[in-house]
Amino acid sequence: MAIEKNYGNPQLEEKLRDRYFYTDDSNPEFLANVEKIGRTIAHMCFQCGTCTGSCPSAPRSSYRIRLFVRRAVLGLEDEALTDPDLWLCTTCYSCTDRCPRDIAPTDIIMAMRNLAFKRDIVPRNFLKTAQLIYTTGHGVPNNDVNRAAREKLGLTRDPPTTHGYPEFIPGIQKILDYYKLKENADRILAEEGQ
Amino acid sequence: MAEKKEARIGVFICHCGTNIAGSIDIKALQEYAKTLPNVVVADEYQYMCSTPGQGKIVDAIAESKLTGVVVAACSPRLHEPTFRMASKVGGLNPFRFEMANIREQNSWVHMHDREGATAKAKDSVRIAVAKASLLEDLFPKSVPVEKAALVVGAGVAGIQASLDLANAGIPTYLIEKSPTIGGRMSQLDKTFPTLDCSQCILTPKMVDVGRNENIILKTYTEVEKVEGYIGNFDITLRKKARGVLTPDEAAERGYVGGGCNGCGDCAGVCPVIKGNEFEFAMAPRKAIYIYHPQVVPNIYTVDFESCIKCGLCVDICGDKKAIDLEMEDTFETVKVGTAILATGYDLFPIEKKAEWGYNRYENVITGLEFERLICASGPTGGHLVRPSDGQTPMKVGFVLCAGSRDNTGVGKPYCSRFCCMYSLKHAHQIHEKIPGARVYLFYMDIRSFGKMYEEFYYRIQDEGAKFIRGRVSNILEDATTKNLHVFTEDTLLQRPINLELDLVVLASAVQPVAEEDTIRKLFGVSKSQDGWMLEAHPKLNPCGTTTAGVFLAGVCQGPKDIPDTVAQAEGAASAASIPIHTGKVELEPYFAQCMDEKCAGCGMCVNLCPYGALALVEKNGRKVMEVTEAKCKGCGTCGGFCPGGAIHMQHFTTPQIVAQIDAFLLGGEQ
Repeated sequence: MAIEKNYGNPQLEEKLRDRYFYTDDSNPEFLANVEKIGRTIAHMCFQCGTCTGSCPSAPRSSYRIRLFVRRAVLGLEDEALTDPDLWLCTTCYSCTDRCPRDIAPTDIIMAMRNLAFKRDIVPRNFLKTAQLIYTTGHGVPNNDVNRAAREKLGLTRDPPTTHGYPEFIPGIQKILDYYKLKENADRILAEEGQ
Repeated sequence: MAEKKEARIGVFICHCGTNIAGSIDIKALQEYAKTLPNVVVADEYQYMCSTPGQGKIVDAIAESKLTGVVVAACSPRLHEPTFRMASKVGGLNPFRFEMANIREQNSWVHMHDREGATAKAKDSVRIAVAKASLLEDLFPKSVPVEKAALVVGAGVAGIQASLDLANAGIPTYLIEKSPTIGGRMSQLDKTFPTLDCSQCILTPKMVDVGRNENIILKTYTEVEKVEGYIGNFDITLRKKARGVLTPDEAAERGYVGGGCNGCGDCAGVCPVIKGNEFEFAMAPRKAIYIYHPQVVPNIYTVDFESCIKCGLCVDICGDKKAIDLEMEDTFETVKVGTAILATGYDLFPIEKKAEWGYNRYENVITGLEFERLICASGPTGGHLVRPSDGQTPMKVGFVLCAGSRDNTGVGKPYCSRFCCMYSLKHAHQIHEKIPGARVYLFYMDIRSFGKMYEEFYYRIQDEGAKFIRGRVSNILEDATTKNLHVFTEDTLLQRPINLELDLVVLASAVQPVAEEDTIRKLFGVSKSQDGWMLEAHPKLNPCGTTTAGVFLAGVCQGPKDIPDTVAQAEGAASAASIPIHTGKVELEPYFAQCMDEKCAGCGMCVNLCPYGALALVEKNGRKVMEVTEAKCKGCGTCGGFCPGGAIHMQHFTTPQIVAQIDAFLLGGEQ
């Protein structure tokens, strides 16, 4: 059990916070959920670091995939789900290709993002991406700069996607509605804006 | 000593690939060697030890009529036998060969000083040539070998070695200090990674030892004195007073049909209760006792330190007359050709690492105590309980490297080598026996190096054991609940850890048994820096020692698990059987020789000899010293001391040594 101290100063309290890991910090359900959603044997990780070594995000950020797997093994749910680094995975799957214990670390991250979304913990840009997909069918919709570049290359101004065939957008919206992705994104962004 | 011919020396310089040639100018050394007195040939080769290299020596002996050979190469411990054989093939007495070590003592240590190394190599070669010019023909002495062997220690190493020797037809004395054989392995519940029941795989071997006609089993017996040399050791044994007669011993006293049959009536009436050492005092025994029901031999023993001699046991034993409370230690001497030491290990007294609280906190135990607590034949019938309250522990921690890999001087600097694996096995046993229990292993590295070991590690992790990479810094006890707070860092998480656990098991380091120093000194065996007995060569002669005819098996040579122990025991048995089957051994002819005409018969050398090889005898009406060549090791103690210069050390004669010193000091300018 963490020891609480009160200095009447939130910054100082955060700085001096008890950072011990205690047995009751661990939620074994978290590991079980991650393994169930990610369909991978996260508990077999022996922390060799091949994943972080393979990761294109790691050298350019504080994202350490090995650390997220460690948190899964120890059941450190809050620590994993509230860490903004969780969203820096590019899902390139290099770590999954190379993991010597045949774990899929990428899928562990995806499972954690899933669990985080259930608790409304998602960065704004991801939510806005969800909104854009809903309205345009694209996470990054076409814009005038792209259109000019496409023309220069002898391509049509818009690609043959939902931009060219907007009649397919309702289909995409149906999928997103089923998972309440847009609804939740709107709600979270609205609550944040308050 | 025949009239000397003019010395003709051949010098052969080895490159050893770049081992030597990388730091020493071989050409310059060769040219220099040609200028030395008595040198008629100076040659060099990539690898002198190779067949073409040896061929150069053989050819040069014939072509240049050499009287001595010098090879400048590696340590004589490595290739002296090789080049002696080459000299012999070439028709020279093998003792006319001399080696100059320009690798271990030169190129390897002066790797970055080519000029200095070359100058030193010139010195070495000059000195070797000076000695080679004065070498004489010598002839090894052959002695017969007694067809019997001795094995000290009847743990799994000693048991295996004895069985192998006995099955090879060699009468073998198996000596054990405890009342029963079996050693540490008999205290274990299961063995990794197969999870075989330890007793189930060991007891058949123990029974075989009891039955084998070639094994003379002597329990409750220690080695008192060792005399002699390879082929002819006289070993004095102390048979400790057991207070109980075997059926054979009873028959000798005329009580035919009497003697101990292991019925245990005596223990039933004995009023004295002591802690059973076999159970680490977690279970009681009486002053007349056996350790456990499967002992071999099944004979009771009286603990005379606790016995109050009330005589109740003698009464109930009745007509069997097996108990003699006035028994005293007895001695006997046995003659053997070779000996194997297999004295095993003790746990490091882990209470010395006070931060983990062993002996202070009731719920901190050692790995061996865990073995007894989880073992069906142990004090709790195999139910793992907390010592403080008898409750089943639900959160158990294992502290690996407890006292191992410790350079403080308190613990042991080495890896104890089997703790990782038995802790994994312990974790498995908890998962198996206590559903819902959580297991934490605190480790620095998991060393699962053996066959099927890594797979075992995988299996235990898959069962749900939590591995925390961090060495436990300290343990604190909750005074009320007797729970333990274990502190470390999860170095992978980079967070300090404070886990409240029910039971903590220390995978304690191992150390040589208390008697090891006494025993190894009796046999003239050295110890290595870490305290374990020293093998002749760590890679190429791991069972042998520097004492000819004495071999090592098991943990007494260094920590090893059961497969490695059994393998080494079989190796030692094989090595120890060679001289016995050959029937004779050749001793290097470095004997001291007494020059009777110079000897004053003062006898001062007799007491100085560490091997008891010298004696004063009557010759031609006066006393002179005589050497028993087979006992002499050529150490030179007598020769160095003799006030009259009457002792001639073969192969290390005064003229030879003086020539070497002159060659060095005078730089060859005579």
